[in-house]
Amino acid sequence: MQVEKFYYDNRTVKNFAFATILWGAVGMLAGLYIALELVFPQLNFTQYGSFGRLRPLHTNAVIFAFVGNGIFMGVYYSLQRLCKARMFSDTLSKIHFWGWQLIIVAAAVSLPLGLTQGAEYAELIWPIDVAITIIWVVFGWNMFGTIIKRREKHLYVAIWFYIATFVTVAVLHIVRSGQLPYSFLHSYSWYSGVQDALVQWWYGHNAVAFFLTTPYLGLMYYFLPKAANRPVYSYRLSIIHFWSLIFLYIWAGPHHLLYTALPNWAQSLGIVFSFMLIFPSWGGMINGLLTLRGAWDRVRDDVILKFMVVAVTAYGMATFEGPMLSLKSVSAISHYTDWIVAHVHVGALGWNGMLTFGVLYWLIPRIFKTELYSKKLASNHFWLATLGILFWAIPMYWAGIQQSLMWKQFTAAGQLKYTFLETVTYMKPFYALRSLGGTMYLTGVLIMFYNIYKTVKSGKLVANEEAEAAPMVKEYVKHAGDHWHRVIERKPIQFMLLSLVVILIGGLIELVPTFMIKSNVPTISSVKPYTPLELQGRDIYVREGCYVCHSQMIRPFRSETERYGEYSKAGEFIYDKPFQWGSKRTGPDLAREGTGNLKKSDGWHFRHFREPSSMSEGSVMPAYPFLIEQGIDTGSTAAKINAMRSLGVPYDKGYDKVANQELMMQANSVRLNLKIEGIEVPANREVIALIAYIQRLGKDISNSKTPTTNK
Amino acid sequence: MYKFIKQYAETIQGVDVYPIISLFIFLIFFIVLLVMVKKMGKERVEALSNLPLENDESTNSTL
Repeated sequence: MQVEKFYYDNRTVKNFAFATILWGAVGMLAGLYIALELVFPQLNFTQYGSFGRLRPLHTNAVIFAFVGNGIFMGVYYSLQRLCKARMFSDTLSKIHFWGWQLIIVAAAVSLPLGLTQGAEYAELIWPIDVAITIIWVVFGWNMFGTIIKRREKHLYVAIWFYIATFVTVAVLHIVRSGQLPYSFLHSYSWYSGVQDALVQWWYGHNAVAFFLTTPYLGLMYYFLPKAANRPVYSYRLSIIHFWSLIFLYIWAGPHHLLYTALPNWAQSLGIVFSFMLIFPSWGGMINGLLTLRGAWDRVRDDVILKFMVVAVTAYGMATFEGPMLSLKSVSAISHYTDWIVAHVHVGALGWNGMLTFGVLYWLIPRIFKTELYSKKLASNHFWLATLGILFWAIPMYWAGIQQSLMWKQFTAAGQLKYTFLETVTYMKPFYALRSLGGTMYLTGVLIMFYNIYKTVKSGKLVANEEAEAAPMVKEYVKHAGDHWHRVIERKPIQFMLLSLVVILIGGLIELVPTFMIKSNVPTISSVKPYTPLELQGRDIYVREGCYVCHSQMIRPFRSETERYGEYSKAGEFIYDKPFQWGSKRTGPDLAREGTGNLKKSDGWHFRHFREPSSMSEGSVMPAYPFLIEQGIDTGSTAAKINAMRSLGVPYDKGYDKVANQELMMQANSVRLNLKIEGIEVPANREVIALIAYIQRLGKDISNSKTPTTNK
Repeated sequence: MYKFIKQYAETIQGVDVYPIISLFIFLIFFIVLLVMVKKMGKERVEALSNLPLENDESTNSTL
């Protein structure tokens, strides 16, 4: 048969490779900065650099910019070679690359400005969400175009992982981005309270699964055999790995909501499937490690293999830990603590980071037709990164468990032994050690930056790499004993549809009952919509990212009800768009901040926002003096009320017309309260709205005359 | 201890069936998968797993 000559596109691969290095360094630098903010709160000197705004910048940069570009680098390199075809369209490749970088820049600008949707890892505002959808479609179009015009009949397992990634991320992104815009930059979530929480963690956990895991498993199945120069240990195992992993992952989200107000059946579902996930995950890890069977001696001298072995090992550790953390009794201790933060960093720094570095060191010299500038520097990078991970994770594991135990400690007389603040000051040395680990890891990346710069200088990009292969035979002769999988392995579209069905089964069974069955969220008659001032205050709370450090979800433990008051009920959150349960308690829970023992005066809150350490010595909370200077955006009140009403919040018709009047009345009463305490501040300031919101928290339940069990 | 949470579940008719259905679907799926994988021919498996290593002189690690 006539062999066809064609060219692989290496330029796009190079662009994505450089982008992943650049954004990786930026994202990690943001991480280091916020880590230092917890040690030296003075570093929060501007509103654009406060912890609550930079933490989403860090997570988004690392997930979508560093790992995102890493995915595309690996996919564009391996897909062309596995399909024996150039990417479908150079124009689409260009749009994909530059579109993705623009989205990243838009995120890097909007997040410090406080433009956010207030849902973890889905913070980006709706216009950026639209852009992501478009670029994601471009990526999929380019990928499927390439697969369809391929010269190799069979789709290698790595490509399945890419297809599942494309399809699932599309579904997740669309469902999570369900928002009603009320202005060009702002929107409210379609979902509220418990439903918003369920959608959020269905999305959040599957972002881990289908953005940080499945595409990187595809890279592992391609680049590890390449670097080791031997085929994957068991191809059969890779098939089982793939299908079980995507089937199980999609159900696991509710393990983020154990002991919360989420219905119990959904919690149980999440636990069972999270636990079962250990098997496909470990199947994949073992498959990766055993690919090196008979080649372990090479791991000693080959730094690329070293990076990959640590990556796969970290994957194994993180996927063992994940199912354990999903058990209710473990979650009772680990949830809201730095243990979880350590867990995700083993995944991000270990699995994603180390695999990206391994692939970069393997790939850059090849597309530049040269040798790596310095093996010694690469080796230094490896050791700095590995030790950096240990210095990062061990203090956080230790401190996380310790802090949790301190939260739960009672004295012999039956009172809580530690104030929340005491447990925060205990954490400080560990936060400092964690920053050291982060510095080491980032230094390694900078060394890699230099090493790759020198390598690139010494070579020349082979922008179009020559290759040849026979075209694919169109007519197919059916062999005896053929089964369905063999058939779909050749048919990418059917393959995509099957993956879609598999992930939708889990998504639907999990989400639909909570949406359809009203009794899942029992209403509490005393729970009323927010007043206009409180609503504005709540939006400031969301804008400042308070939820990254404060939960609003009291679990039913004596240690929590003693500290924070009555446990939280599903019915309390029906007007919360977005829900603000949080996932981490760097500061205390705020669900009942406006009631009971926790209630403080308006003046206390004012002084606390102005300078937290003046009211709570040793506090690591950022100061918010700018809230006293900035005026409430009353121009948006009517639009907000109308948007909320169209989403089902029972504001009366025409209420938007009088909302600002009511807002000013309530603001004036807060101003007078402050005046009594000797504080002079105009009523139209943001701090007034935020105080009104904080004082509202938990009040509905305490106003209720009937017992608040959910009948 | 979690009576209050259970109460939600009790209000949905036969809610316990959801996790059972889920497990059942997965079990069937998994068994079909196992049978299918078991039936794959050895030669084919070898050919498939060699796909990344084909036609490529630059396979050996440079380090």
